[in-house]
Amino acid sequence: MSESVLDVEHLFWQVDGKTILADIHFSLPKGQMLGLIGPNGAGKSSLLRCLYRYIVPSSGSIDLFGKGLTTYSAKALARTVAVVQQDTPHYFDLTTEQLVTMGLTPHKGLFDATTQHDRELINSALAKVGLTQHAKQPYEHLSGGEKQRALIARAIVQQPQILILDEPTNHLDIRYQIQILELVASLGISVIASIHDLNLASAMCDKLLLLDQGKLIAKGHPSAVLSERQISDVFGVCCEVNAHPQHGKPLISYFYGYQTANRASHQDE
Amino acid sequence: MSNPAQTRYYGVLALIVVITLLTPLFAASFGAANISFTDVISVFKSWFSNNSVPVPTQILGGIADANNTSPVSSLNQRIIFELRLPRILLAFVAGAGLSIAGSVLQTVTRNPLADPYLFGISSGASFGAVVVISLFSQTGMFAQLFDGALLISPVGQQPWWSWSMLSLPVGAFIGATLSVLLVVALSGIGRTSQVERMLLSGVATSFLFGALTSLLLYFSSPQATASVLFWSLGSFAKASWSQLWLPTVTVGASLLIMLAFKRQIMALQAGDESAHTLGVNVAKLRLSMLLLCSLITAMLVASCGGIGFVGLMIPHTVRLLFSGRQPMILTAVLGGLFMVWIDVIARCLLSNQELPVGIITAALGSVFFLFILRHRR
Repeated sequence: MSESVLDVEHLFWQVDGKTILADIHFSLPKGQMLGLIGPNGAGKSSLLRCLYRYIVPSSGSIDLFGKGLTTYSAKALARTVAVVQQDTPHYFDLTTEQLVTMGLTPHKGLFDATTQHDRELINSALAKVGLTQHAKQPYEHLSGGEKQRALIARAIVQQPQILILDEPTNHLDIRYQIQILELVASLGISVIASIHDLNLASAMCDKLLLLDQGKLIAKGHPSAVLSERQISDVFGVCCEVNAHPQHGKPLISYFYGYQTANRASHQDE
Repeated sequence: MSNPAQTRYYGVLALIVVITLLTPLFAASFGAANISFTDVISVFKSWFSNNSVPVPTQILGGIADANNTSPVSSLNQRIIFELRLPRILLAFVAGAGLSIAGSVLQTVTRNPLADPYLFGISSGASFGAVVVISLFSQTGMFAQLFDGALLISPVGQQPWWSWSMLSLPVGAFIGATLSVLLVVALSGIGRTSQVERMLLSGVATSFLFGALTSLLLYFSSPQATASVLFWSLGSFAKASWSQLWLPTVTVGASLLIMLAFKRQIMALQAGDESAHTLGVNVAKLRLSMLLLCSLITAMLVASCGGIGFVGLMIPHTVRLLFSGRQPMILTAVLGGLFMVWIDVIARCLLSNQELPVGIITAALGSVFFLFILRHRR
């Protein structure tokens, strides 16, 4: 087992007496990709927000490289952890290149100019996500997949040790879903991503974390987490789990017809 | 990397530099007294041959020394150096200050319609200034301040520094800060939908302080009311060397601070949460930038009255001309040039009379405002 970059223990978060996250604990080994799965409202985004300190948890500890998260300055934290969010607000006037350049922010002091070395970093990040020819275009004019890739390029420029992705594959077609996750995996840094598509999560992640109503239901290798029983308990759907023909990890086939089944059971009563 | 866009950018940049250098010469040749452009040139020539150190005190001394020239050119010299040049410089500083304040407000609040005027900062500053004027001018203790602040006092008799000089800006700053705090409080400290609420709160605050100012004016003497009214419409008529340095230093220092935090300000454009993940202390940065904008606005309101919409027009024009760049210094320079020429129009539009600058900018600005509204969806 390699060293862990992130350790979370007994994490709780309550708002107005309502518990959003309850007793979460896990650790992220260096260089691994951790998938966060669970139904809508399970607390996936809240957990991620705790990790990049946008939310202050009610209790529990989060350690980054063995040091408490609260001991990091805002800049030091941004140099260690980069985040790609699911929704980005409307930018009124930015080119793709400028958006990517923003990744330099935590590395620069007052009045620091963008150096030749920075330019090379930005260009190589743009090349890595395949957006070199879109560099001078307004960010707003990019397609959904290109926007997501531009945000990943910004995260690359940020040179983090941990990358947090909040539903990076939302609104993307299947080609981009695979492309973006493979791109992220190829960077060689530790990644935590919340993913809706269980088959995608199974194929791409080293470990999975299954959340339901703020509680940790299961964690570990995809084959340990994605059992027929657990999927039916948490998501309320029936399925059959087999080994994927290519990578051997769980492949889920869902069963359909819940409406008719409900109607039939109501008629019986 | 010399693509056409790059070339065009440098071309426009060079053009702006040339215009900036020529503007004082041309702008000085407009006004009530009939001084032609060639007169301006000859005055500058004789001044350059008499003085090598361009310090304002030296200008006055140099004029006294230069009595060997003809009386007409000496009069021209006095008009240009003591009336028109400080006026042009004040207009430039005011335009630059309002433009950068507008630009930063728009970025920091992610609201393309933000402007010191629309955000209620100007009306807060006006209210603060009017309180100072109407309370202190009637006690007689600050009577000379009242004169100094509102009337065109005899040139050369104003001191470089006195505490009473600060009372108007301080009053304006307190008013501006009050309005900013009110806007921030009304729009909520919460992180969602702050931007939409902010504009509405700004409009409400603007009305509130406008009403309070009207109330104060209603109880003031007609004479005070008239001068306050003229002042609040905005004018550079009372510009003088001794009162120029305070707004200049304020705007210059603010521009420097904004340049220092350029990356952080830019990161705010990506949204509060994104800016947070880029290591920006969002709440602190936004509040300090709002306060900085209110400082600029207060200083300018105190020295030349309420001039609206410049902070809206210039940043948008710059964005249209140089899309994809965030040229803070260029915004300042263009705003300054715009203001200087608006002031020239104000001096020349009506014969024997000056139009308040605020009226012209408000007329242009409201049309511009509708134009922006139309072009967004």
